[in-house]
Amino acid sequence: MQIFFVFLAVNVILFFIFAIQILFWGLGYTDMNNIFSMGLWIIGDLGLVSLGGGAFFTGFFLYMLRVDKLEPIINSTVLIGFMCYLFTFVFLVFDIGQPLRAWFGYAYPNWGDHLMPQSMLTEVVFCLTFYFCVLCVELVPVVLRHKFLDSFPVFRYIGHYLHRLMWIMAAAGTFLSFFHQGSLGGGMWDVLYGKAGWFRAHHQFFFLAIVAATAGGTSFMTLCPYIAGKVMKKEVVPMESFRTLAKISGVMFICYTLFRIYDVYTMTTHFVPAFDRNYVDIWGGYYGIWMLGLELIGCFVAVAMLNVKKLRDQEKFMVIGISSGVFAIVMSKLNVIFHGFSVPNFPWRDFMAYNPTIQEWFVTTGGLSLMIIIYMVFAKFFRLFPHLEKQEHHAE
Amino acid sequence: MKRRWGMAIDLDKCTGCGQCSISCAQENNMPIFTDDSDIPKRVAFLDLMKVTNDRDAKYPNVEIAFIPKMCQQCEGNDPGNPKPPCVTVCPVVATDVGDDGVVSQVWSRCIGCRYCQVSCPYEARAFNWWKPRYEGTFKKSLNSDVSVASRGTIVKCTFCTHIWKRERDKAAANGETDINAVTYTPACASACPTGAIVFGDLNDPDSEVSKLAADKRAFRLVHTIDEKPEDEKKHLMNLKNYPNPKVYYLTSRQWIRDMMRFK
Repeated sequence: MQIFFVFLAVNVILFFIFAIQILFWGLGYTDMNNIFSMGLWIIGDLGLVSLGGGAFFTGFFLYMLRVDKLEPIINSTVLIGFMCYLFTFVFLVFDIGQPLRAWFGYAYPNWGDHLMPQSMLTEVVFCLTFYFCVLCVELVPVVLRHKFLDSFPVFRYIGHYLHRLMWIMAAAGTFLSFFHQGSLGGGMWDVLYGKAGWFRAHHQFFFLAIVAATAGGTSFMTLCPYIAGKVMKKEVVPMESFRTLAKISGVMFICYTLFRIYDVYTMTTHFVPAFDRNYVDIWGGYYGIWMLGLELIGCFVAVAMLNVKKLRDQEKFMVIGISSGVFAIVMSKLNVIFHGFSVPNFPWRDFMAYNPTIQEWFVTTGGLSLMIIIYMVFAKFFRLFPHLEKQEHHAE
Repeated sequence: MKRRWGMAIDLDKCTGCGQCSISCAQENNMPIFTDDSDIPKRVAFLDLMKVTNDRDAKYPNVEIAFIPKMCQQCEGNDPGNPKPPCVTVCPVVATDVGDDGVVSQVWSRCIGCRYCQVSCPYEARAFNWWKPRYEGTFKKSLNSDVSVASRGTIVKCTFCTHIWKRERDKAAANGETDINAVTYTPACASACPTGAIVFGDLNDPDSEVSKLAADKRAFRLVHTIDEKPEDEKKHLMNLKNYPNPKVYYLTSRQWIRDMMRFK
């Protein structure tokens, strides 16, 4: 355990060192270039938003559909969602060339007709911001239930009434997250009509990304507290809650797998041929079609393990299922970026490759380490797992 | 009548001397980096691409050609309502299409998200990965009509639109108030020693560029839809937008035209 703490600390220290280098001396220190214009950080953004999207979906099931079995897991879910969105902003700050002009996105948005955003990135900026605000409000009751703060009646009342109003936040979060999951994960890429690796019908990749977030996000929201429980050697969340969320994830993975197969089919028959190219031909270089194969294998395993009751009821198979689900969604994001950028734009060019520099690696791993540290702090000092208190109460 | 600026480049006349590239860099204040051999990170509006008929060919069967490639000033399927791939995606409206069909880029508005660069099928946009530097006497040769870009912003060819503005200002001083009465020549076209680059108004059927664009030898860069029959073309354009660039290339060498196809 101590080695793990040292590992986290080293990552965080290097994160700050390389953050200064990138922010003050520019993106020249990355392996991104004029052809491979985005890299590890955008994969981080896509992955975090997609997996963090489990927060909105879990909240939707608990507060809107009243699946009360999810109550013990919701605080952890809100915190993970909050951190995923927070660090999406952090990675975006590194990724844009002019972080000091980031507010231009709000000041000069690219609106089109009828108040519809013309640029998918405009939609992403606004929806991300609003949903992050919702997550901040959702996190407040968790913080206010800290033993010290809870001793002040005013904080207790605020926390109590915020908790009662949480269904409104869940509804707003569902609405906002629904859209930016689509726009960042899919819409941003499928509107690029000049690029054979990305273009498809707009609604198609947009909704695929939403389904991906609901499937992968719920798996991720199950996996994190499960690992926390193993580390803490306590039952932090009842197995019943894990299974309920895993079951939801399994059903969503059936939808995602079918939708993804349809997506590959339409790419093969419609969209890539529109560029006078073959689907298989645009998978080349380092990022071959094996990446798509791995993604689909992850999906199939998740579908099998999370939907067959016999398997889901066995802890090890459930864990394999949710891990495969997270893996499949991460692979899908790697596919979007690696594959999309490596496809040559001219017939006389080769496939491109990308090899992140040490700066990119440590900014990414440092960010993820900070997320783990925040989660650990909340698990130790805040009421992240209400089930633990119940257990202690029963023990007394 | 509104102008619709376009360009025609005769590859049979191009010798690959690089004058277009150099004059472009000079006119548009291109920075000089310590290592400009790092081509994927180089900041240049005009890229002189060298292509060969067959990489394994040996003399005398080997042929080469140079393709000067700059922003192709795309229009999308409908030139009446131009939608270049890069313009619609910009989240801060740092890039737009002017009345003259030129795709502009405002360096000082750009936040450096590079989404426009991702969307460009011609790799025509460059990002300032490093802080632009102008060592020694280079500072004295900077063009005051073109703003110097900051680090972390996207820059691109604008068909030297500042020269048109300069010419219009001159004409206005002489009493000419119709901006469309004024023509101009971008730096690359005026520097070309063989006259391979021709610039002009595609809306004017009598202009040389319009005639060259309609020539049998003309084609557009990797724009395979041009070769399809009308019915198929309509079907494909219903399926998706096509870049529809305003830069035409001319050649009588079949292998160059063949190279434009992926299959």
